[in-house]
Amino acid sequence: MTPARARSRGSLAEAAGVVVYALVDWLVIMAPALAIQLAADRGGIGGTEGIDLLIASVLIATVHAAMAARRLRFEERTAERRADIWIASLDSLVILALATTLLVVVVFVSFPDEHAALANRGFPVVLLWAGLQIVAVVLAEITGRMVFRWLEPRAPHQPTVVEDVTVAIERAHREPDRAGSGTRQEPPTG
Amino acid sequence: MSSGRGLSRRQFLAAGLGAAGAVATGAGLGGYVWPLLAREDLIPGQAPDVTLEPQAWINRTDRLTFAALGDNGSGGRQAMAVAESMAHTYRNAPFGHVFLLGDISYYGNFADRYDDVFVRPMEPLIDAGVTFDLAIGNHDEALRHSDEGYDEIEAEIRLLDTPGRYYTRTYGPADVFFLDSSVPGLFGAESPEQLEWLDDTLASATSQWRIVTMHHPPYSSGRHGSTPGAVEKLVPILERHHVDLVLAGHDHDYERTVPLDGVTYVVSGGGCKTTKVGHSDFTAVAKRILQFLHVDIADDRLIATCIQPRGQVADRFELRAREGR
Repeated sequence: MTPARARSRGSLAEAAGVVVYALVDWLVIMAPALAIQLAADRGGIGGTEGIDLLIASVLIATVHAAMAARRLRFEERTAERRADIWIASLDSLVILALATTLLVVVVFVSFPDEHAALANRGFPVVLLWAGLQIVAVVLAEITGRMVFRWLEPRAPHQPTVVEDVTVAIERAHREPDRAGSGTRQEPPTG
Repeated sequence: MSSGRGLSRRQFLAAGLGAAGAVATGAGLGGYVWPLLAREDLIPGQAPDVTLEPQAWINRTDRLTFAALGDNGSGGRQAMAVAESMAHTYRNAPFGHVFLLGDISYYGNFADRYDDVFVRPMEPLIDAGVTFDLAIGNHDEALRHSDEGYDEIEAEIRLLDTPGRYYTRTYGPADVFFLDSSVPGLFGAESPEQLEWLDDTLASATSQWRIVTMHHPPYSSGRHGSTPGAVEKLVPILERHHVDLVLAGHDHDYERTVPLDGVTYVVSGGGCKTTKVGHSDFTAVAKRILQFLHVDIADDRLIATCIQPRGQVADRFELRAREGR
């Protein structure tokens, strides 16, 4: 096999790995909402009864799957050893699986009076659900990044999503200036 | 980037923790927590917002209409869906009584959760003047044989204005017996008094119908199954006194047996959760559903309908009062 073909196969495998990881990440976040929806369907409620939780989880899972894929691609470019990427990702996934499910179970089982009182006042339970899942996602992201940095202390700092957004906004601001400076000036008349 | 030759100490530690965590998490979540989420009712639910006509049921000596609801004590979305279905059923087929078949408070004490698990879901029916009778359940094995367990039962009796741990009521053409199958066990060697009371009270019952309600089912193909000791100790009494119908909960499903020596046994435990149910020789119907049972007795005819949250009818059966008891 030529070195070029080997490199091509390697990058294909890495891309497939990223996709599979993002898919597993998505499913892990969706699991609690799917379990609850399954219970409602099986019990005969079905329909749109638990759809709010499903929609919230789909949004969070999709955003986080994209974030995880982005993190993996960045780490692939900067890591000295490929194993470090997948070790950090495995740790992140474990924390994600534990936190997305256990936070929901612990919070809803431990403080039922408070939650029912909130439901009484029309507090959208879905916000509490989404908040717990976002906390879980943040914990998983912190774990993944910290483990990666611990394994690869010389790797460059990975920009956070907030930093990415800030850079994008700054770039968007700069673009009109650049466009303005490039416009052809009309020759003075008279 | 290199694939690396061997694992460094850091890699070994991080990979080891990750692998062990993955195995433990996979086993714990897949084997226990996700199934738990799929059978519990943890998400707080909105109470039914329905106004019902007060005392709309037919009140005659030859008529009794009631609902039987078991294991409904979550205050969650599924419990509220069943409660809403009960309120809508009342509109079309009003009933004057609800027989609670135990396990009326999960995730906390009944005294603390009284509003959430009883008042909120049942408010439309309470406002309509429907009465509630309780057969005591044991929702938590850890509570058994403990001061906490006794306190819980005392709170249930006090808050629901129940005359005692076991008692009888006469409603229209039926004598209804509410048993306590919890501490220390209706069927154990320690507690013959309740069985003696039941034997004596059934012997002196004069109504056309005899209905026994309790938490633990004598016959069940559900997760808990038939209650040990019930067939030996309780069933002979029920058969001897020609009881027509036995209503129970405990297993989170709906089950009806074929008549066993003239007695029909129903599990109506789908008040807020569901668990697996199988089939046995005695099974006529068995379904893993959320439900309650609507029973309408008119003279010598009883029609029972198992109703799901969206009003779907899961089962319907008819009994005739037995003659020459």
